[in-house]
Amino acid sequence: MAAEPVGGATRAAKSGAAPGDGLSAPLFHSLVDRLNDGGRFVVLDLAAARPATVRLLSQFRCRYEVAELADAIDLLNAEQDPRRLRTLAEAALPERRREPTDIVLCWDLINYLNRPALAAVMESIANRGRPGTLVHALVYYAERRMPERPSRFLPLDEQRIEIVAPSGALRAAPRYSPEDLATCMPRYAVDRARLLRNGMQEFLFRL
Amino acid sequence: MSKKGGTDKPADTTQRSEAAVRPDNTAPRAPAGREHAVIGASIHIDGDLRGEEDLLIEGEVNGTVQLKNNSLTIGPQGKVRADVYAHSIYVDGFMEGDLFGSERVAIRKSAQVRGNVTSPRVSLEDGAKFKGSIEMDPQAVQGATSRSAPKPAPAQPAQRPAPTQKFGEPAAPKPAETSPVVKSAS
Repeated sequence: MAAEPVGGATRAAKSGAAPGDGLSAPLFHSLVDRLNDGGRFVVLDLAAARPATVRLLSQFRCRYEVAELADAIDLLNAEQDPRRLRTLAEAALPERRREPTDIVLCWDLINYLNRPALAAVMESIANRGRPGTLVHALVYYAERRMPERPSRFLPLDEQRIEIVAPSGALRAAPRYSPEDLATCMPRYAVDRARLLRNGMQEFLFRL
Repeated sequence: MSKKGGTDKPADTTQRSEAAVRPDNTAPRAPAGREHAVIGASIHIDGDLRGEEDLLIEGEVNGTVQLKNNSLTIGPQGKVRADVYAHSIYVDGFMEGDLFGSERVAIRKSAQVRGNVTSPRVSLEDGAKFKGSIEMDPQAVQGATSRSAPKPAPAQPAQRPAPTQKFGEPAAPKPAETSPVVKSAS
């Protein structure tokens, strides 16, 4: 895959793989396998729309919804009033439509939300989901530090993801445990979890 | 890329494959050398904008844009708050509203788009700001683009913004309004 030039980004800094190889993500693969069923799906991406993701999903019968949540992270984390936080969380997501959401791609964004913001965002997502909605997330677990801002995740194919981390400062990772996530996301259950080669925990949550 | 299972494949796989394999750095460009109308950077239009020629918007347009058989380019300075119906749509500037491209929609790296895109071919360049949805189901795209765009209202002296038609919803009755005249660039 051709390199995507981004100012100040470092490729696969902590992916544990050579640039271009990508990180094998088995639970992401299982999500893509589900799209292969031929049915129609609604996929919500909490990150920014990437050409690689558009290319991958354009093979399937789906509506691809994009939240670009990174723009709202600071605002969400700063809000202390629960009612305003719920409003902000809903506004951070795309316009709600009649069809329920089937699949949610969180990438690493969960790590950048504090507990109240995470709870509010996941509650908003649950309200537009349906029983069986699947949420894919990557959580910093083995590493104590993470990039200051969310990384870019570029699907190389149905199984591998290339991680482009922003260069610059690192910050402490929240290292959310499954118990922390269960508290913040009470409507979700852990369907599966895998520890990836780069030390991140890959989760598949089910609504 | 290999696909497993999927016995009920979408009918329009050729168009899907074309969109899937198009590299980012060759995102389609607006047709060169063709005559097109231009809404300059200082022009501000509120209303129902329709025509039968290609159009470049560098100004501000609020309402509805209908170029059923032609291409629309929203230039880097363009600001469009409207539902857009065109053959091909190229976005370099600001766009808030729904985009229906019967042939293609290309969102360039300088674009800021908030809305829903429905088209058989959608390309997005890295760096583009996009919030909304992209309809990738060929069946849904075919259904949406085969519907006619909102019928224009007869010209009346009063000028009001057009109502917005959302995908899947019947067109609301159009209020009476005038349509601005767009001069061709020569």
